[in-house]
Amino acid sequence: MSDSIAAHHGQRAARRVLLVVALTALALFGLLADIASGPSGLSIGEVLDVLRDAEGVSRSAQVIVWNVRLPVAVMALLVGAALSLAGTEMQTVLENPLAEPFTLGVSSAAALGAGVAIVLGLSLPGLPAIWSVTANAFVFAILSLVILQFAAGSGPTVVILFGIALNFTSGALLALVQFIASADALQQLVFWSMGSLANVRWEGITLVAVVLALTLPFSLRASWALTALRMGAEQAQGFGVNVPGLRRWALLRVSLLAASAVSLVGVIGFVGLAGPHIARIIVGEDHRFLLPASLLTGAVLMSFASILSKLLVPGVLLPIGMVTSLVGLPVFILLILRRGGDMS
Amino acid sequence: MIREFSPLCFKTLAAVAIGCALLLAPTFPANAGSSPAAANEMQPDAKHDIEIVDITGRKVTLSHPASRVVLGDARHIMELAMLLDDPVAHIAGWRQDKSLDPARYRLFAEKFPAIDDIATVGAGNRQLSVENVIALQPDVVILSLLDAENPATEVQLQQLSEASIPVIFVDFFSHPIENTEPSMAILGQLFAAEQKATELIEFYNAHLDVIRDRIAQANPERPRVFIQVHATPQRCCASVGSGVFHDFIQAAGGYNLGQDNVPGIMGNIGLENLIALDPDFFLATGGVHLRDRGGLVIGAGVSQDETDRSFAQLLSAPGIAELRAVKSGQVLGIWHLFNDSPMHIALIEELAKRFHPRLFADLDPAATLHDMQARFSPIASDGVWWSDAPAKVE
Repeated sequence: MSDSIAAHHGQRAARRVLLVVALTALALFGLLADIASGPSGLSIGEVLDVLRDAEGVSRSAQVIVWNVRLPVAVMALLVGAALSLAGTEMQTVLENPLAEPFTLGVSSAAALGAGVAIVLGLSLPGLPAIWSVTANAFVFAILSLVILQFAAGSGPTVVILFGIALNFTSGALLALVQFIASADALQQLVFWSMGSLANVRWEGITLVAVVLALTLPFSLRASWALTALRMGAEQAQGFGVNVPGLRRWALLRVSLLAASAVSLVGVIGFVGLAGPHIARIIVGEDHRFLLPASLLTGAVLMSFASILSKLLVPGVLLPIGMVTSLVGLPVFILLILRRGGDMS
Repeated sequence: MIREFSPLCFKTLAAVAIGCALLLAPTFPANAGSSPAAANEMQPDAKHDIEIVDITGRKVTLSHPASRVVLGDARHIMELAMLLDDPVAHIAGWRQDKSLDPARYRLFAEKFPAIDDIATVGAGNRQLSVENVIALQPDVVILSLLDAENPATEVQLQQLSEASIPVIFVDFFSHPIENTEPSMAILGQLFAAEQKATELIEFYNAHLDVIRDRIAQANPERPRVFIQVHATPQRCCASVGSGVFHDFIQAAGGYNLGQDNVPGIMGNIGLENLIALDPDFFLATGGVHLRDRGGLVIGAGVSQDETDRSFAQLLSAPGIAELRAVKSGQVLGIWHLFNDSPMHIALIEELAKRFHPRLFADLDPAATLHDMQARFSPIASDGVWWSDAPAKVE
């Protein structure tokens, strides 16, 4: 009897591992497809030649693949992964399926930081000008999450209310900054807040990669406690989980992930909300599988959004934040409806 | 609590995978010939190297005059048209956010049907699709000072230099009075059209010098001028603090009130502030882009009738109608697209005539504009370039 349960359990775990492997393959495919697609009509063969460093590849094809497409494709994967992982942890520790970094004001705080740099010209001293907006956005995003940390001890409802208050406060201050902005600064700011992968640099990519590499092991180490928390806070306490501590550390990881992503590519909604839900539908609630799976679903979503942003309007790179929401939403709603709307 | 995995997920994943394949289909070029052919490398000849110092002071060396360029601002086709018989043949791609107005585009298209084949390399928010530019393999990319001052341009410049595609900055917009002459000279060098560029510069300077010298000599009192840009009766009032129209007003011997009240290039002044300022002159710019917003419609391909109607509507807006300048008829409607072209010399003459009628009684701005179109433009566009207050519409 117990044997069959164990066998069944093992089978289920094996299937989840397979699903995670399949998602990894899909993410890699997304990366390649992103590198292979673009407005200039390089053929797949030419792209592969460049990647293989074959003889007789034109200089322009090399530059297009290595300098123009590759940074965007890599950044899309990393940002999607970071946002989705952050969303999963947040939904779990706040026991709320709608929680994600951006619903709690991180993005509006970051946008406020960007606005302060772009419009008022105030930024951290000693930084090269090209990083001032990013640095400001990062600092403001982190600050907003520090404020959330204060509420972390008082339970999830308080954190969420704090987050909503933060969101509105930052939004109002941002409106004030926009109101006094000159037209050109305003245009820059609006575009920044749409989220775009157009101008990513390797330094930025490295930053997001490092943050992911630093936080992921800790997330995985907490996966058992996170799974226990899904049974409810009291149950988890009963299993010996230090819930307030878990919440605090998770929020710290979320801050770093969300702040680095939003400060480098601007506001990209939907991925942090939908990535985790799609992953839940695929592998279930066991966080040992859910965390890597949601990281991958986020990466896949962003990768395909990046491809679409290049192809939807010929010759124009659409801001990716628009694409994630417009294209991802119908898919997401379809998934929810097919599950009968049970998203708790 | 822990949910069963359902076969649905496999279906979903499969559907996604098929979706990917479909998505990628358009990137498999059905027209394999569309990849850029290697540019015909002319043997660089040290004797004929063209050394250009662009408007930002960067040095650019070209082995031969440009025959295919990418324009960061599509409307700079007007400046190319001043130098070249067939500007369209020289443009491989252009960015569409500052483009030609429909009326002039049509005139170009009648004369140069190939204009429809020019590739789009970006639109909106100064985004440049570097990938498209590289694929076009132009001799040079011509950008404006606005791009040079935009931090987002830096990555794009890096990528272009990796691809060995030179970039040249010109400016007819941010500092029109200082930069028009050097920018025209740069374009003249670039296309080996120095003679035509020199003719244009001489024409331009001859007209500008008359105004500059007389104002310097007579030193007349400067009227206080308010300009509403992209003027609509609602949402008063966008104005300029520096750059384009500010420079025109100052050059014509006026005092632009925006410089004290507007931070940066463009900003808003509240109606109450405007009434308190009590300007001597009220200027308004518009164009066909304001047709759907109920603003001032004026410019290429516009009838005097439509300009009058829309201008009357603007001048009867609450607050604006009460201005002393409006009541005494010291108003002028202006085509907004003087803002990025040497043609602005005619507008400066017109403004000078208005601000100092006695000092500039002998100027004929309409004739200046007509001469310029005849000598330096392949298209002759009809339209309303500036306009008095319409007769009272009862």
